[in-house]
Amino acid sequence: MRLQAALFVAACVSPAAAIYRDEVNHIDFHHALLGAPSPDSTFFLKPSSASNASLLYTISDKSILGAVNPRDGAVLWRQNLSRAGSPAGAGILRGSDGNNAVVGAAGQYISSWTAQDGKLIWENQFLDGVVADLELLELEEAGATSGTRDTLALISGEGTGAVRRLDGASGEIKWEHKDESGDVAFQVSSSPTEVFYISLQSALLKGYKIKVTALDLVTGRQTRQYTLNSENDIPTPESVLFVGANVASPLIAWADKTHKTIKVNVIGTKQVQTINIENTSDHEIRQITIHAPHKLNSLPHFLVHYVTDNGAWADVYHVDLKSSAVSKAYQLPYIQGQSVVATSSIDANVYFTRITDSEAVIVSSASHGILGRWNVETSSEAAFSAISEVIAKGKNVAVRAAVLREAGAWELIRNGQTEWTRHEALIDAVAATWVEAEVQENLVHELEVEGHESMVGAYLHRVKRHARDLQYLPEWLKELPQRILSSILTDEVTNLDSFGVSKPVIVATKSGRVYALNTGKQGSVMWNTQVEKTSEWDVKSIVTRPGEVTVYIGDGSSVTVNVSTGEVISRSVPTDVKLQAILSLENQETIGIKEDGSLTGAFADAAAFLVTTSADGHVLGWSGRDSKSPVWEFVPPSGQKVISATSRPAHDPVASIGKVLGNRSVLYKYLNLNLALVTAVNEKDHTAGFYLLDGVSGNVLYAANQAGVDPSQPIASVMTENWFAYSFFGDVVDESSAKGYQLVVSELYESSAPNDRGPLDAAGNYSAVDSLPLPHVISQAFVIPEPISQMAVTQTRQGITTRQLLCALPESNSIVGIPRPVLDPRRPVDRDATTAEAEEGLFRYAPFLEFDGKWYLTHSRDVSGIKTVLSEPTLLESTSLIFAFGGDIFGTRATPSQAFDVLGKSFSKLQLVLTVVACAVGVTFLAPMARKKQVNLLWKAN
Amino acid sequence: MALFVALLLCQLAAASLTITIPTSNLLPNPQVLPASTHATLTTIPSGNDHRLTASLSHGSTLVFQHIPAHQESYLLDIRSSEYVFAPYRVDVAADGSILGVWETFRGNPWDNRGSEKYVVDVAGKKQSDIVVEAKLVGRRGFFEERAKFSPMSLFKNPMILMAIAALGFTLGMPKLMENSMTPYSLKYGTILTDVVDPELRAEFEQHSRSSPLTGATSNAMAGGNFDLAGWMAGASSGSTANTDAAQGGATGRDTGASARRRG
Repeated sequence: MRLQAALFVAACVSPAAAIYRDEVNHIDFHHALLGAPSPDSTFFLKPSSASNASLLYTISDKSILGAVNPRDGAVLWRQNLSRAGSPAGAGILRGSDGNNAVVGAAGQYISSWTAQDGKLIWENQFLDGVVADLELLELEEAGATSGTRDTLALISGEGTGAVRRLDGASGEIKWEHKDESGDVAFQVSSSPTEVFYISLQSALLKGYKIKVTALDLVTGRQTRQYTLNSENDIPTPESVLFVGANVASPLIAWADKTHKTIKVNVIGTKQVQTINIENTSDHEIRQITIHAPHKLNSLPHFLVHYVTDNGAWADVYHVDLKSSAVSKAYQLPYIQGQSVVATSSIDANVYFTRITDSEAVIVSSASHGILGRWNVETSSEAAFSAISEVIAKGKNVAVRAAVLREAGAWELIRNGQTEWTRHEALIDAVAATWVEAEVQENLVHELEVEGHESMVGAYLHRVKRHARDLQYLPEWLKELPQRILSSILTDEVTNLDSFGVSKPVIVATKSGRVYALNTGKQGSVMWNTQVEKTSEWDVKSIVTRPGEVTVYIGDGSSVTVNVSTGEVISRSVPTDVKLQAILSLENQETIGIKEDGSLTGAFADAAAFLVTTSADGHVLGWSGRDSKSPVWEFVPPSGQKVISATSRPAHDPVASIGKVLGNRSVLYKYLNLNLALVTAVNEKDHTAGFYLLDGVSGNVLYAANQAGVDPSQPIASVMTENWFAYSFFGDVVDESSAKGYQLVVSELYESSAPNDRGPLDAAGNYSAVDSLPLPHVISQAFVIPEPISQMAVTQTRQGITTRQLLCALPESNSIVGIPRPVLDPRRPVDRDATTAEAEEGLFRYAPFLEFDGKWYLTHSRDVSGIKTVLSEPTLLESTSLIFAFGGDIFGTRATPSQAFDVLGKSFSKLQLVLTVVACAVGVTFLAPMARKKQVNLLWKAN
Repeated sequence: MALFVALLLCQLAAASLTITIPTSNLLPNPQVLPASTHATLTTIPSGNDHRLTASLSHGSTLVFQHIPAHQESYLLDIRSSEYVFAPYRVDVAADGSILGVWETFRGNPWDNRGSEKYVVDVAGKKQSDIVVEAKLVGRRGFFEERAKFSPMSLFKNPMILMAIAALGFTLGMPKLMENSMTPYSLKYGTILTDVVDPELRAEFEQHSRSSPLTGATSNAMAGGNFDLAGWMAGASSGSTANTDAAQGGATGRDTGASARRRG
């Protein structure tokens, strides 16, 4: 009831600015990302035995398990398997056709999920090590619950290994085999009757011997054990090429160091067969991969793929089930360029799909005849792995293959056509900025020129510019009819691109890539460039200048990239200092801020000042006169450590310097440009201090202390205009306190009395150093239902539009925009608003602030992992651009006071035109009739 | 092995908390809840685990299996993007068993507990698996509804209603007058002029000839049409008995007045 009441009040007050259903995907876009898929744990799977439809399942390098619709590349469900405090381990995912369960593991955790909708079936944690391998048992046991497959898990701990069979329905352990010999637990494999535990035993001098332990499927008892002498060929566990799992004849394969031979052992037999590699190309083999089907009933065929620096070929081998002999069947020829191979099977038949630069080819494992061949668009990015699904209809075959590219892109190719591409590397985005479209840039430049010239010169320049623009006239006229027609007939909202609502966004990722996203076209990637070959690109900031963007990196270096093509224009060398932030000044200079808060160089403007935080938890103030020693230093009370500092945004226009009250008096806002809000926490006694500092003098203008704060939960803060907000998890400290997440809003006024400007009343100037008057602060706290990880404020061109407090909610995977009137700290407490207050838009305070569904900018989308929310003004006062990144990528347009300067979709141009036409038709018909009637009457009268 | 047994024992000792999601009017089928639905137990860190998470299972339950053995009072939230659930308070004893589960109210003192979902039986043995039902309190509407064009909404518009009423009067009134003139006139005590005075008629026709336009209009009136402008200007007030006489303009009124005088 309370909630309904709260929702009702909120709905009454907030100007409804929610998105319409038909605007979804038009004004907003969302890339639901998983991270780079792990090649061994990515597969097509039919989750239901009743339907033939299959989905793509993967686990990524971020331990996110996801199901992707192969039709359009949309994520159907995803689960993050990584747990805080669990040791990291590579994610493993297994599933079997017709079984509505996929089993994933990351670190110590194994969990099973329904394949269709991603609900948990069971979860288990093993404290004695990380999960090294998983296998689903293919055969159902008699008496077992139908539809569930037991899982074999290999847990690798410190010098121990354990094979455990987990029940498919509950995850409970059926049996376990412990290995305490100190071997490296390597993999687990199964045949219809036995389970094979493969471990690597360190040889005396160097290398590893492969030890195979066969276990009984039902009891887990060891039946036999043998060791293969492989120590000369296997210096590290990575040297083992392949351990076949769940095939009729599982095998282990490894190559010698010189890549001359491959050795193959059919698991369960002791003999090792040697295959000679016939390298007909002039280049050395760089990589050997083995592809074999993973199904129990498949033919025991496998393919060995050899990659050299500029080409690749493959050999197909057959295994004789009786003698376990391996014989070569045929060869796929050497082709220049890149090539990847994928295996798929229909019943017992095995098909190999080979995708090269120019074509996709399907062959059956039985013979070398090509079953299908398609041309493929050449991609600039190298492919490193692929999975495929083959459908055979009579003699024809169709294939769809998901190709993983080194750029972190995931591409589905269906019969040679690229169906969709997912740019998974965007999950690592660390910095982003908007850039002006090139046309706009040129115009700005021209206008600048005009502004600097004499009156006559500027006039001539303008006339010339317009004359030049005339060349576009015929084209414009040609397009005009179509534009008018399309704007009337189509359901499109007015095209607002010229108002700066679809600016491109430049995103830099941790993996050393720079992307340009077109926010006007569902955030599609315009270009992407690998700028740096690294996995830890320490991007500090991105700065745009006309035609180019510069990415500044923590080691002091920078890279400048062309905005429209993504080409690298220039690079600067790194310096030896490590920086925590980089500041870009108006005159294209930059200042680095070191970890200890000191500056790398002086800034030219003597009147400017700078506030920095240092690694030891202090805040330093710098002036332009002296870049060596700080002007002031703020040290929080003992025990507290500064965790963050925020200031008003660079673009923060204030429409009105005062707030008009209901009785027509004015409460003047305390508008100080030099404010800094510092958050400090004491981790021992769970207190947090929020300090409002004056940046010039370092004076503390206001301080608030909160007790019972959880410092390990996100503490977000934001400041704009004359107010600031912060949120934290607050626990019970006394009898009257609540437990939950809190949001505190504070407003700053010049004085407590209306129509009074305090000491600054008549002053033309004031000094921040001498006697800066303290603001009058009004605060109100709300209990909110969930944590806020990041705060921002919508920015509009003039600041007239009501602001929204943008909050990233990590628990519900969304971004909410709380209207500012709801957060007014002057809301009357414990009484209803008077008429005068109601006129101001104030309404009764309620301690609990439920987020109304209409405030959700992300509406029903699942936008996870957001680390930063940015806001950018557009030329339309009503509209603010929002871009969020860090995990998923999300962009939208916020209209906090509704789109008052835009004709929305509800304005039907067609209806307007039809009305006018109908009136015109009516007039043309009725005019002659009326005239005729009058004439007739005249005749009758006479 | 010893470690594993210890783990098992630990599991046996620590209670598990299962939250079921019942079917309700708002949520007829809990299976439609998205895979991202989860529950959290939160408190301030005093031990190691102060934030526990449970994912939604395929049976529409949320299960916390390893609640740490530490005396704590947790805030239980169930989070789903579209559905809003009531928060609960979960008290855990030092041995990890659950002392009680109550509904709680956000923005109220923590001791202000709502309805009791489970409380430990002091006399009896401790339960290790506790099942409580979640309470669904609302569903978020994310979207703004666009006003759809419907004829009914058109008729709800007062302007349209007034226009229709006016139109009705315009078209319907003359007929109404023709049919019910006698009783109507009697009722209001107006003078009955069923038969037009021949003298008046002559005078009128004379007048009409001298002014062709007025004549045309009045002839048109005689044809059964009704002069809307005249009617609205009040020309017919008082004397509407005869359509011929009820012509627009000052002339008509004058004539009507004279007719009355004479009658």
